[in-house]
Amino acid sequence: MIKTKQADLSRRKFLATTGAAGVATLASPAILRAAGSPIKIGMPTILSGRVAILGETASVGAKMAVDTFNAAGGIDGRMVELVIRDSKGKPDEAAKVTRDLLSSDGCALILNGEASGGTFAVHEVVRDTKTYCMHTISETSALTADPANRAPWVFRSARQGIHDAISGGLYASQLAKAGATRWATCSPDYAYGRDTTAEFMEFLAVFAPEVELVGETWPKIFQPDYTENITNLLNFAPDALYSCLWGGDLVAFFDQSSLYGLFDQFQTVAVNMGDVPVLEAIKNLPSGIHSGNRYHKDIPDTDANEAWNTSFRESGQLPTNWAWQTYTGAQFVLEALKETKGETGHEKLADATRGRTIDSPFGVNGTVTLREADNTLVDYAIGYGQTVSEAPHMEGFQPTGWDVIADHEADWMKRKNYL
Amino acid sequence: MNLAHPFVRAAGLALVCFVLLIVLALVYPGTWLLDTLTGLFASGLLVMSLHLLVGYTGLVSFGHAAYFASGGYIFGMFLQTPDIVAAFGAWSVPVATLLALLGTGLFALVVGLICARLSEIYFAFLTLAFQMLLVSVIQGLVQYTGGDQGLMGGIPRPEFLGLDMVQVKDRFVFSAFLFLAGVLVIRLVTLSSLGATLRMVRDNEVRTAFLGVNTYRVKVLAFTIAGAVAGLGGVILAILTSAAYPEWAGWAVSGEAIFTIMLGGLHSFYGPLVGVVVMRFINDVTLIYTTHTDLAKGVAILFVVLVLRRGILDWIIDLRAARRGRKEDDNVSRALSKAGKEAEDAAS
Repeated sequence: MIKTKQADLSRRKFLATTGAAGVATLASPAILRAAGSPIKIGMPTILSGRVAILGETASVGAKMAVDTFNAAGGIDGRMVELVIRDSKGKPDEAAKVTRDLLSSDGCALILNGEASGGTFAVHEVVRDTKTYCMHTISETSALTADPANRAPWVFRSARQGIHDAISGGLYASQLAKAGATRWATCSPDYAYGRDTTAEFMEFLAVFAPEVELVGETWPKIFQPDYTENITNLLNFAPDALYSCLWGGDLVAFFDQSSLYGLFDQFQTVAVNMGDVPVLEAIKNLPSGIHSGNRYHKDIPDTDANEAWNTSFRESGQLPTNWAWQTYTGAQFVLEALKETKGETGHEKLADATRGRTIDSPFGVNGTVTLREADNTLVDYAIGYGQTVSEAPHMEGFQPTGWDVIADHEADWMKRKNYL
Repeated sequence: MNLAHPFVRAAGLALVCFVLLIVLALVYPGTWLLDTLTGLFASGLLVMSLHLLVGYTGLVSFGHAAYFASGGYIFGMFLQTPDIVAAFGAWSVPVATLLALLGTGLFALVVGLICARLSEIYFAFLTLAFQMLLVSVIQGLVQYTGGDQGLMGGIPRPEFLGLDMVQVKDRFVFSAFLFLAGVLVIRLVTLSSLGATLRMVRDNEVRTAFLGVNTYRVKVLAFTIAGAVAGLGGVILAILTSAAYPEWAGWAVSGEAIFTIMLGGLHSFYGPLVGVVVMRFINDVTLIYTTHTDLAKGVAILFVVLVLRRGILDWIIDLRAARRGRKEDDNVSRALSKAGKEAEDAAS
């Protein structure tokens, strides 16, 4: 479990000494600024339940960035403090927690560590309250691609589903060219699963029009037993399978499918397989599963990435895709705060963030950028490879170039009427 | 006008509370308390309306969250419809609120007509079934409801009567108005002859029927009123979050509402409100230190059930009654012994 020490202490003092109303006054941003007290960044995330690992590793990532920043002197000596709260992964709870972080904890901005469902809830809160916000987890494309959802002061430091779909579609088209033309899908039955699967199949068809969809099966999120889906897949008898199951669900699905020897019968593309904790948790990791890179210490193969991996593992956690995304998000927020000299007005911070490029262990050329047109992250390492049973678990990595992604993304946005 | 009439007194009390809340909004400098209270108004209406069924009519509905969510969704989906805001202008929010109230009432009426034929566990299960049906509909009609991600893209809430729902204070005042209106409706029902009939139904439905009361009809009526008021709670939450989520219609919300009533007090009108405040307090304080909020709530409920053996407000009222009783007993015994002494004196 993760604790924010400073927040605990100040809160305890507060509960012990003053009434709630008094504290709210104390926490009002104007007074904080006058006193030169720390700038509080609120972080709603998932710290309990089956996907607690999401919030746990994301929190470590965020803290790494904040601690480094504070150790280097903060903003002319003024420190930054993270206040991390559990939303249990429920959208309505995420909305409530975010409002509480802003109104009762005196947070001036939000570093959002929610999965897609909660992210849209947090998104409405920060749009409503005009609060500067960085989404660090949600990969749902519509969050930043759909103009109806955009707000100029809200950013995303996570992968975007459509980028992975283009990269995955290109990669999978090689499998199709090699004869795997009958495809089936097995993805979680909620917005992220449906959208991501549709986007992947859309691009697979763009790159390999001969592909045919022979069947779909939709397990519920956090489903304990996959027998029904496995039976479906055996009946479909496809040449290849696509799945965007993730985290514990992916582990459970793989462990149960292995009993039926499912992965000997067809090729499998599981985009979220590449997360280290997933790879380590699967009991008998089959070789030759195709996966996106998520987070990998050798992709890109640089000293900076290796060093980040080592220092992250000192926390006792394994690095995840969520970890680097939240770390990166926190870096952007801190850089922006430095530029505004600690001012937290949403427009000022947004101006300081929009289009910014920072040095990053995860960038293809050592940098990542928050694209000016739609406030979303680009130039991060992206591509597909195959699993092997021994660490570091991935080989044959094929990166996808950002020029290719940008071209196809523009076409896709036109098709969706997003431009 | 008879100022001593209970209806007038209840309305007066609501008016006084409304004025006090407006004053609070004007003098309170921050946002925390106002936002917290707005959230409490929403859950307050959910449990108060459920209390009308559970506490006053003896109908344990396990699906009350359905009407809460229905209010929020009708409100949100109406305002998100293209051209609606342009058509209604400043009246959009009041019209949407009214529509949510009536729509939810109609929904509750239909469900009530079917469920009220049953009683006890069968009634509870059927209400639960309709709730799960609503959840499935919300999750299935992704195109209209956003499915499991809820109503996305924000709910437009144009200004009306100088109130801007994006501003904390304005939103608080409007929510307070809806809340007090909802509570007043329930209060008036419980004070009226309908309320007396409902209590009769709760205590002995067969005997009530023998008195010539159509118990089916009054149960449906109570169910409809309770549903509509719960819908008003959903409207408050939709205004606060600028969205609506399928979780609002989940069985967990219905279950927690029942726990809240038990925690606050089943036998007093304001008991459920005490429960809401306590639940929220436990939740928020626990969340500062750990993620085990459900554990903390469970312990609190265990304490109330095993130690107090009644809701908090019921316990306080009983305690006061017992004290007063003891005092009266003391007075009586003192008077008796005095009289006895005098009698003895007289005899001697």
